[in-house]
Amino acid sequence: MAEWVRAAALDAVSPGTLHGVEINRARVVLANVDGEIYALQDRCSHADFPLNDGTLEGTEIECAHHGARFDVCSGRALCLPAIRPVPSYDVEIRDGEIFIHLG
Amino acid sequence: MPRNEAVQDLNLDEYKYDFVDSEKHVFRTKPGLSEEVVRQISGHKDEPEWMLDLRLKALEIYESKPMPTWGGDLSKLEETLKEIYFYVRPQDQMERSWDDVPADIKETFEKLGIPEAEQKVLAGVGAQYESEMVYHSLKKEWDDKGVIFDSIEDGLKNHPEIFRKYFGTVIPTADNKFSAMNSAVWSGGSFVYIPPGVELETPLQAYFRVNQERMGQFERTLIIAGEGSRAHYIEGCTAPVYSTESFHSGVIEIVVEKNAHFRYTTIQNWSNNMYNLVTQRALVNEGATMEWLDGNLGSKLTMKYPSCYLIGEGAHGNILSIAYAGDGQHQDTGGKVVHAAPNTTSSIVSKSISKGTGRSSYRGLLQVHEGARNARSNVECDALLIDENARTDTYPYIEINEKSAHIGHEATVSKIGDEQLFYLMSRGMDEEEAMALIVRGFIEPIAKLLPLEYAVELNRLIELEMEGSVG
Amino acid sequence: MSEGIVTGERGLVELDRAEVAARAERDPEWLRERRLHAADVYQRTPMPTTRLEEWRYTDLRDKLDLEALEPGRPAEVADDPAAWPAGLRAAMDDDREASAHIVLIDGAVVHTDLDPALAAKGVVVESLARAVHDDDMWEDSREYLATQAVSPERGKFAALNAALFLDGVFVRVPRGVHVDLPIRVTRWVSTPGVAHLDRVLVLASEASQVTVVDEVLSDDLASHTFVSNVAEVIARDGAQVHFVQVQRLGRNAFNHTEHRTLVHRDATSDSLHVSLGATTSRLDLNTQMIGPGSRAELLGLYFGDGDQHFDHNTSQDHVAPNAFSDLLFKGALDERARAVFRGIIRVHPKAQQTDAYQTNRNLLLSEDAAANTLPNLEIEADDVKCSHGATVGQLDEDSLFYLMSRGIPEARAERLVVLGFLGEVLSRLSLGGVIEKVTREIERKLENH
Repeated sequence: MAEWVRAAALDAVSPGTLHGVEINRARVVLANVDGEIYALQDRCSHADFPLNDGTLEGTEIECAHHGARFDVCSGRALCLPAIRPVPSYDVEIRDGEIFIHLG
Repeated sequence: MPRNEAVQDLNLDEYKYDFVDSEKHVFRTKPGLSEEVVRQISGHKDEPEWMLDLRLKALEIYESKPMPTWGGDLSKLEETLKEIYFYVRPQDQMERSWDDVPADIKETFEKLGIPEAEQKVLAGVGAQYESEMVYHSLKKEWDDKGVIFDSIEDGLKNHPEIFRKYFGTVIPTADNKFSAMNSAVWSGGSFVYIPPGVELETPLQAYFRVNQERMGQFERTLIIAGEGSRAHYIEGCTAPVYSTESFHSGVIEIVVEKNAHFRYTTIQNWSNNMYNLVTQRALVNEGATMEWLDGNLGSKLTMKYPSCYLIGEGAHGNILSIAYAGDGQHQDTGGKVVHAAPNTTSSIVSKSISKGTGRSSYRGLLQVHEGARNARSNVECDALLIDENARTDTYPYIEINEKSAHIGHEATVSKIGDEQLFYLMSRGMDEEEAMALIVRGFIEPIAKLLPLEYAVELNRLIELEMEGSVG
Repeated sequence: MSEGIVTGERGLVELDRAEVAARAERDPEWLRERRLHAADVYQRTPMPTTRLEEWRYTDLRDKLDLEALEPGRPAEVADDPAAWPAGLRAAMDDDREASAHIVLIDGAVVHTDLDPALAAKGVVVESLARAVHDDDMWEDSREYLATQAVSPERGKFAALNAALFLDGVFVRVPRGVHVDLPIRVTRWVSTPGVAHLDRVLVLASEASQVTVVDEVLSDDLASHTFVSNVAEVIARDGAQVHFVQVQRLGRNAFNHTEHRTLVHRDATSDSLHVSLGATTSRLDLNTQMIGPGSRAELLGLYFGDGDQHFDHNTSQDHVAPNAFSDLLFKGALDERARAVFRGIIRVHPKAQQTDAYQTNRNLLLSEDAAANTLPNLEIEADDVKCSHGATVGQLDEDSLFYLMSRGIPEARAERLVVLGFLGEVLSRLSLGGVIEKVTREIERKLENH
């Protein structure tokens, strides 16, 4: 059952950084690209390590654990050792709060 | 094929390559790894800004990653690394033809008994002395075909677009601690580009050796096999014996484009004080085939798992691994295959021998992603134990997320059968000869795929090792 | 037993020493000591994460919520089948001949019976909670409880069980006595939202023979429930022990079974673990071949559907020479089920003349099913014969085709092939009642396929 859930305050995620949250037992990583917020499942599709340990460079998230990179908007894998994409979630900002569509 | 006479005269009871050239080096960094060392390396190679940035970032990543606690014993490695020279450059310029190579370096090659001194057999040789390509020559025929076989440094200089497009995409800097280290201090290695449709009959070969006490080797190789091409690359290396540790950490990235066929062969025979930690990976596209032939005979500890990522439909990966672990050696080797597209196939065959206090461990990954329909894979690991105190382990990881996959894995462990030995000895062989014969038979399925001189060298070495195994 | 709840706000994440002691206030001193020691070990053992090799494919953060659980209290249930839940009665009705019955509800024994002829020979089948008060019953075997076989040091869950187990089963068979018919243990779980912890201790003296059939079951549970079972089996010289465990818990159960057998000289241990139920089921199975000439057969069978997750972690330890062990684990996975198998054969340096084998075969019946299998070998003696094999695949097309060409409809043909595949394991047993029950349950799951 998909629903909009509050993930974090907008100012919890500064530009160029990643922020991991756990909502309803789902782990999500939020990324701030120049003011725009994106949300992906906080699990690298290579070996399930948390993406929020990594870094954000432009629109690419690099997983700290083995260097896999993903496009922050679509979750697409950009280099080995990742092959599969990471699920992404729709994001809405409501009154300075980040809401994501979990389902 | 005439063997070099110098080699035949050497006393085979001792390690064959136990000698040291008087050292002639133009430049080397101070021991240990630091930002200063990394900057010096990049400066000496006159690299573009982006590569220096990559190296510096890699150094940070290297420092942030912990030493692995699995595999072999790396407990003393941290200390050892503080004393290693991470970069030495013996010459100022790359040589173009064999005649131009300085005499003392040629002498080194002769002592190594390199068969490719015969120009006919050899297509092009990149040889690495200390950390850089000293000698490089490419047969005209291949020049005409557009084959590029350069040192890795020249690859960066002369073909920056291809280089930058592929470098670090198969094995990213952060993949593991040692790929990060290599990304920071890489020096020497090959850059190979086979244009689409080109088929090479003679293998590309490269030799290098470590010749200075406490020297590290950080070769970086990038190979792109264009669509429909066929080629074979052979790498064999050797090092003299020293009292302190030596360290080798290479990274080999290979991209096999659609319908291409590429084979990478290594016979490693490092001396028994060497740490040999290598990351090898190939990206295999639609209809293409990648073959790794991996022979690990030397070193104190080798950790190496050649990998194939089958990302295009119909791709095929083959890994053939021979490991020999004698006294005090630990070979922790195997292979990885990831099936990420439909109708892909793979095969891993690993044969290992443990003797004396040697330990050989097979470590492998077989992963089939959901959607990799009809993936077919077979893994076979056989281990032969020669002595009571020898040890063998098998650690396969099999992860299957696709219903239509057919996966099989088998491993067996055994010792040389008494009946077999008895039979051969009753035919007039002494026990050592009989054991050597049985061991050669054990590795034959892989050995027969090696070029002749390697097969000969391999068999020779096995004989050497079997000597003294009785009594 | 104390009425107190051994939990603060964090459920079972932390154990309070004082509360563990209070809960055990009616236990004999020696047992209380062991429980407190276990509580200490529990506190200092970190919760396994996926970084730990043995838990690499089972993320406990997703599957087990210790914060929400408190340990169970003894159920006030009469020793009268009429008062028992229907599911439990049905399971008991299926039982055929037995030499003894022992029934537990929510971890506490509510019924025992034993063939008087066997009792006369000194056979003991008793509630563990009662047995700990009777020194005569134990003789020299008291020191086995939570010490040699499954000590708290073996892991976080072993420690939890030793600290908090409510009750369990104690079986002792004297020297030379043969117990021909199985001892039937039936463990029913009825209270959801609670941690039920029980133990089994089987002591088979020299040259004795005994069979234990242990069934753990429940209806689907209304909320997340933890079921912990530790089995310690000692097979002394020349003894023969057969142990079958069938796990048929309902949805929302997280089952953890830790089963360890010590096989002495010339003794034989055969075991079968069947995993059919629970949302998550983890088995830690270890057999130690500590006496020369010992033999062990480790069989496993599993069928997962829905979102079930089975994790089987087995080890065959060859410490003594001339021992034989053979493991066969087969499973079928349907819908979104996932199975993990990790099996290691360890041959110690002095264990020459070892024969050890291990096979794991997985059948994937649906697109979303998955299997991870890690057969491992660590061999330090050379005069050995060891091998392992693992496969993952789907239904064999040829077999299917053959059956369909005989006029059997596809759905039924599939069921037959799966039953044939899993049947290989069952055919190595000779316990009629168990085979039937298990087969029926598999057929039921297949009907949903």
